[in-house]
Amino acid sequence: MANPLDGTGFNAATPLPGFNSGAGGFPEGSSGEVPLAIGTLTAPAGPFAGGPHGSGSGGGSGAAEHAHGGYNLTGFVIFLASESLIFAALFAAYIVLKGSAPLWLPPGVEGLEVREPLINTIVLVSSSGVAWLAERALHRRQLVRFRLWWLLTMAMGTWFVVGQAREWQGLTFGLGDGVFGACFYLLTGFHGLHVITGVLLMALMLWRSFRPGNYDGGEAGVTAVGLFWHFVDVIWIVLFALLYLWQGR
Amino acid sequence: MSTTPIPFDPRALRAPHPVPGAPDNWRRFFTFNTDAKVIGIQYIALALLFLLVGGLLAMIMRGELITPPADLVDPSVYNGLYTMHGTVMLFLFLFPILNGFNNLLIPPMIGAPDMAFPRLNALAFWMFPVFGVVLMASFLVPGGPASSGWWAYPPLSTQNPLGLLINGQFLWILAVAISGVSSILGAVNFCTTIIRMRAPGMGWFRMPIFCWTALAAQTIQLAGLPVLTAGAVMLLFDLSFGTSFFQPEGGGDPMLYQHFFWFYSHPAVYVMALPVFGFFSEIFPVYARKPLFGYPVVAIASFGIVLLSLIVWVHHMFTSGTPQWMRHVFMVTTMLIAVPTGIKVFAWLATLWRGKLWLTTAMLFAMGGVFNFIFAGITGIMLATVPVDVHVGNTYFVVGHFHTVIFSTITFGVYAAIYHWFAKFTGRMLYEGLGKVHFVLTFVGAQLNFLPMHWAGLMGMPRRVASYDPEFALANVLASLGAFLLGVAMIPFLLNLMSSWVRGAPAPANPWQAIGLEWLLPSPPPVENFEHDVPTVISGPYGYGLGHPLVADQARYEAQLKEA
Amino acid sequence: MRASGSTPSGSGPGIDRGAVLLVTLGVGLALLASSWLMAQVPRWLPPQASTAAPLVDDLFALEAGIGCFLLLGCTAVIAWTLLFDRADKYDRDDGEPIEGNLKLEITWTVIPLVVVLLLAAQAIRVNGQLASLGGKVRVAGAAEALQLVGVEGVAGVAGLPASTSVQSSQSSQLSQPSEPQASKASRSRSSKGASRGLGVPAADPAAAEPATDPITELGPVVVIARQWSWEFVYPDGVRSAELHLPVNRPVRFRLMSLDVLHAMSIPAFRLRQDVVPGSVIDYRLTPSREGRYRLRDSLFSGAYFSSNQTDVVVESAAAFERWRLAARLSPLAPSPNAAADLWRQRQERGNRGWATVPPAPPPLVNVPLDPNAAHEG
Repeated sequence: MANPLDGTGFNAATPLPGFNSGAGGFPEGSSGEVPLAIGTLTAPAGPFAGGPHGSGSGGGSGAAEHAHGGYNLTGFVIFLASESLIFAALFAAYIVLKGSAPLWLPPGVEGLEVREPLINTIVLVSSSGVAWLAERALHRRQLVRFRLWWLLTMAMGTWFVVGQAREWQGLTFGLGDGVFGACFYLLTGFHGLHVITGVLLMALMLWRSFRPGNYDGGEAGVTAVGLFWHFVDVIWIVLFALLYLWQGR
Repeated sequence: MSTTPIPFDPRALRAPHPVPGAPDNWRRFFTFNTDAKVIGIQYIALALLFLLVGGLLAMIMRGELITPPADLVDPSVYNGLYTMHGTVMLFLFLFPILNGFNNLLIPPMIGAPDMAFPRLNALAFWMFPVFGVVLMASFLVPGGPASSGWWAYPPLSTQNPLGLLINGQFLWILAVAISGVSSILGAVNFCTTIIRMRAPGMGWFRMPIFCWTALAAQTIQLAGLPVLTAGAVMLLFDLSFGTSFFQPEGGGDPMLYQHFFWFYSHPAVYVMALPVFGFFSEIFPVYARKPLFGYPVVAIASFGIVLLSLIVWVHHMFTSGTPQWMRHVFMVTTMLIAVPTGIKVFAWLATLWRGKLWLTTAMLFAMGGVFNFIFAGITGIMLATVPVDVHVGNTYFVVGHFHTVIFSTITFGVYAAIYHWFAKFTGRMLYEGLGKVHFVLTFVGAQLNFLPMHWAGLMGMPRRVASYDPEFALANVLASLGAFLLGVAMIPFLLNLMSSWVRGAPAPANPWQAIGLEWLLPSPPPVENFEHDVPTVISGPYGYGLGHPLVADQARYEAQLKEA
Repeated sequence: MRASGSTPSGSGPGIDRGAVLLVTLGVGLALLASSWLMAQVPRWLPPQASTAAPLVDDLFALEAGIGCFLLLGCTAVIAWTLLFDRADKYDRDDGEPIEGNLKLEITWTVIPLVVVLLLAAQAIRVNGQLASLGGKVRVAGAAEALQLVGVEGVAGVAGLPASTSVQSSQSSQLSQPSEPQASKASRSRSSKGASRGLGVPAADPAAAEPATDPITELGPVVVIARQWSWEFVYPDGVRSAELHLPVNRPVRFRLMSLDVLHAMSIPAFRLRQDVVPGSVIDYRLTPSREGRYRLRDSLFSGAYFSSNQTDVVVESAAAFERWRLAARLSPLAPSPNAAADLWRQRQERGNRGWATVPPAPPPLVNVPLDPNAAHEG
């Protein structure tokens, strides 16, 4: 009987590259279907791995995983560039509205308090340095040190978020109070959301650091999250300058 | 049917085609399947379904417009219909179907086994049914769907007459936002794949033009969608949370939304057009049996278009109260886009010249598409000049212009691509006879539908109206007849697709004797295309008549195809 | 590389004379056809009723001529290949392996570049001559806009006696405008907008200019756009639902919207300008032909947008003067309004339809709209 796989390029003996076990492999069950793995989709290393590799002739699975680390970062950098444009657009909106609105500050509001946000800024920006220390420790495979610095980064990020929430609570104007209120809360809220996301991603990286052999294929995940954290910091610096330093018209 | 189970390798179920003996072959298209070829077909099939939805809306609209008064549906209903017609056609048909083609074509064309991020790929696809359902659900909420045009200009779009949190406009914004996320994820995937996963020997100027244009289009998505997202978020906040970004009473400016909207939505038309230019550039060499004329320049021109497309958006706002200097600057940049676009058009004509034309359905649609595009480009230049735009902007002249681009060029190109690559990815040949009927009906219908619109616009008929003054009646009757003919034209097309998939003639690996990596694979290709045996590219892509092979050891690949 | 001729007869070096003849003939025919097309352009357009119209039409005709020439040329190439370059039925051999031609590619890059730049220069010149768009002032809402332009009250003003004729421009009586249809979630009609009390200063005293001087600009005429009606307020206080203008006299407008975006579009004048809420926009034009023309809202503004139309009546200075004086004596009354009629019909049908804000009350005007008058263009 003719092999039904004829013409498909398969035969029973063909090993299928990319089906290796590990962080991203597909289980081979009799149904042949791919289960939905939502949990790993949020982690940069997860969804980008597990697919077939690029230049295939003779490449072993080790080369495949390594090549994947490279793709992950390429993809993530492209994504971050795109994400930064959202903030650029919001900044542009703020600048234009501030310059042209007939009404700007809501009645009774003189301006924004700068001191506490400045402290929060220093904490957030320093946390980037701490993250860098963590990445360096990981690069040297000093896992305990890595986890400590990483945890400190997360703590500093959390401080920032809490500080932001406290600032919000103390303000006398709300989201619906004219175009200034709208801009302020949207900008700081959208940024805050990114900080929270960053802290959660860091938590995921921290949890993964306890898995044996997690870094055999490289540290792309931690590098990506670190990059994200720096991105969040740079955005904040611009935001802080626009909102708090450039007051008055 | 035999009762003895036929053995099959379960991994084969990841292939996009039915495998004899495997149970539930059709299921693979309804699962979270990470194979780019399956995902590609999922996108295309669902997009064609939404083409029918958008087309149905158009039929009702043209039924309303065949007579001057608004006598078919209530004017408020008409407004919802035309808003959803535009939204469905753009976000649920055109963008997804082009993403489908990216998935199908890019990996085989560059010799890659799959996309760079297969699971992200599947995730991006599955967002499509989600936002499709959200958008369709907006027909059912109290107050009906969004009815302020696919532009959703505030303050009209934020009026929220019924005062409900969940309203049609809210769902519209949500659907567009999810679509944006899906597109950005897709763009990351396509760009990484093209940049990093090309076969050995395939330098940039040995890469097929379609991959150039796909990369260019996805670059635009990455640059433009974030700005639309920001604008959409602000619109949502104005609509639902009482903010004043675009409300004058709170100090906001409605014009700001227009800038955000058009900063993306103008380049968006090039996101749609560039892949189709890629289709034309692939198809003409095959059916004229000649190299693509000026291939390197055509490739670079794609990125010229990308750069220019990002600095022309204010031509949609010439009468919005923009200052004179701004109108002049953007008029000049808009006129400049004619140059790289013209380079492509002339290159296609030169590819045809002295060729040996084989008029298959794909070739007919491609040639028809280019012909229509020349007309559309001319009306585009007219619209670019401010004094003329002041007169015909926001009239049916614009509607005629953009439908000539979106339908008579871009959709023609999509049809051409379907007729050209269907055999490769399904393993079946489409029926040529039905294809030619489809072409003739579509070509005639398109001219009848959209040419009279230009005339109505010159005479002053505004766009988006449900009723109009009697002097526009003749133009509208002609346009409606053309539209109904286009509806009829879908019948041979759908019949052809469905019956050919099931019982069309088995397709050889290279039915069109084309040159390209995808044609060195069986029809349909195996799950990971070349798998371990990726060829090394040794020459440029359109070597018709030049007598040298595309890849090293080409005879061996061709022999393998004959064996299969 | 061969020159772009294609007749197979020439086999020696040098230019194929038959091809040159053919191409010259083709170019000549195309030029003829394009000129003919340019002459047809006026047939496709409304009558030229403003000083801007001939400028716009000429530019359009030029573009149509150039476009026609280009289209004919490209179509000729396509047709030629369809006729003479078809492969035989089973012939799958390759064609001529022509990969490019540097001179040709440079030509077809440079020539379009030059053409579009020249067109752009011409368009900039024409646009400068049109000189219609004036300045724009940002305001925080309709009330402030009305205050800026010096118009008192809005339609639906409670307490304004129905028989009041036009008050002198010095009067400043004002009552709180109320919206008969209450309970709208529509924020643009909420109390922040037009219903704030207006302490209106007198209208521009220089507006009451002598009627017989044709050179002086008429204006400013305030144009108030609503969902879904037009109201025109003349400098002397006359309010009209139709725009009457004296021929050959420049007129200045101040455009404002009480709710959403609209656009004032008069095809016969070839002019159009968006009306932006939160702004007052200055606009100028000069009508040049007597007649009655359509003025349409051309920027989608909601449910009964299609009905938001009125007429522009261009008449001699004397006729305009007579109209104005008669208008001053007419009482203020709500103008016939298609949107209001459609809304009423919708209510009679049980309010079936998709969500929309109710129409704004029809403007209270001295001169109502005449829905049955015939218009040209």
